[in-house]
Amino acid sequence: MSQPALTVTTPGQAADRGRRLLEIAGAAAIAATYIFLVLTQPADIANGPASFSALVALGGFLLGAVLLIAAVLPVLPTSTLVLIPVALVLNVVLGQLMGSTGLPFYIDAIGTVLIAVLAGPAAGAATGALSSIVWSFFNPTVLPFAAGAALIGFLAGMAARAGLFRRFYFAPVAGFITGILAGVVSAPIAAFVFGGTSGLGTGAIVSAFRAMGDTLLAAITKQALISDPMDKAIVFTIAALLAYALPRRTTFQFPFVRRFRVLAGKAPSAPDA
Amino acid sequence: MTNDAVTARLHPLTALTAAACTAVITTAAASWPLSIAVALAAAVLAVRSGAARQVLAAAAVILVPLWLSLLVLHGLFFPEGHTVLAQWGPARVTAEGLGFALEVGTRTTACVLVLLLFSFTVSVPDLLAALAARNIPPQFGFVVASTLTLLPAVARRLDRIRQAQETRGMVVRGGLLARLGALRLQMVPLVLALMDDASSRAQALEARGFASPGPRSSYRDVADPPLQRRLRVAALVLTAAAVTARIVASWPAGGTA
Repeated sequence: MSQPALTVTTPGQAADRGRRLLEIAGAAAIAATYIFLVLTQPADIANGPASFSALVALGGFLLGAVLLIAAVLPVLPTSTLVLIPVALVLNVVLGQLMGSTGLPFYIDAIGTVLIAVLAGPAAGAATGALSSIVWSFFNPTVLPFAAGAALIGFLAGMAARAGLFRRFYFAPVAGFITGILAGVVSAPIAAFVFGGTSGLGTGAIVSAFRAMGDTLLAAITKQALISDPMDKAIVFTIAALLAYALPRRTTFQFPFVRRFRVLAGKAPSAPDA
Repeated sequence: MTNDAVTARLHPLTALTAAACTAVITTAAASWPLSIAVALAAAVLAVRSGAARQVLAAAAVILVPLWLSLLVLHGLFFPEGHTVLAQWGPARVTAEGLGFALEVGTRTTACVLVLLLFSFTVSVPDLLAALAARNIPPQFGFVVASTLTLLPAVARRLDRIRQAQETRGMVVRGGLLARLGALRLQMVPLVLALMDDASSRAQALEARGFASPGPRSSYRDVADPPLQRRLRVAALVLTAAAVTARIVASWPAGGTA
């Protein structure tokens, strides 16, 4: 079972450094875009839609997401790579299943978080970004949120590495913090590209903040701070419970799970059997 | 994903470039008459290519909630607006707010229609073959193609799991806890089965040298006439010009109002 991970061709030192640089460049593009957008946000949107900010947000965030994918995807072991389509499908299907329970959350990242827990932050970030790209075949409005989705996968992987998924009660805490960061990063996209949120419920919350005189970006950021942490806390909890439900034979085949002792418990006595 | 004479003659990358460039230029131009024209053109092309029903259905699911949300949000609450048309308590209908909703709404409508027209008319295998021929990592093509074929299969599988659990007494009804319990009964078997499938797929791919580096040969050859290549370059240059013009026109002058 652990064979595929071992047969990955180890790239040379230079190629390795190149990928590391690509990863850093991708993260830097996302961070720089966010800072630029907040600093230069149009003071008076009555002069027309923020076309300039929309272009900067689209360009910067998509560039960051593409750089992250280009850095991570070619070096993922096959055992992780085949899980990415599964994760994307789970994002969609489990999101729809959760919708059938009538809970007011959009729960669309369960697969991404599950991959991040099993295969680490890099795989999680790539899965998040790819999920947005593939899903945009059916709904182009998710494409601009690729950077936020990558951030969710990355932070979930970091939380797993720090051992926050060993106990089920730490997972929602990690999800809550991830939701705060991801919500804040995604707010400029909602504000400048779409001029608001796509749901009526979230739209009502934004309206309330607008009625108090907030700028559009501030109102959407506050709305994201209300909805996203709860949403991600639920997603992280579900992903943790799914990871616990998987047999140890499956979870311990991932080097990331073995190396950082992501899930509590010991490895099966003969992992190569 | 329908295919007709027009889209079959169009190289997938030409279609992708055209769709993306149209979306970017519409965003850069920021004028609602142009956005409406682009949206109408996309709708007409969708009808002519025979994908109108899919494109318009998918677009309606996305755009109806967005328009409602925009109209409520900016139509009623727009603190920057000056021309008040009507007022009920804290809610004020302003001309500026309605104008903003119109601008952003038409822009998003145009972009969504153009991109959906592309994704519902392109032949996915042709697109992936064209991408693979241009040094895009083969892993990307695998993930996209695998997801698009997996989606319907998983929907069928979920249906089978639901039926199996229902014969064992699962009832999707009642309070929140009962619903969550039913959810667990469907989710866990689905995830377990998919993970198991994936690990056997990994071994099969590994045995066929999927992870090994080096060039790949493709069985699918997509014709790329020189005229379309020039067309793509022209579209990209035009888009770059539109974006540059927009950035130069509205570069935020730090502090100087």
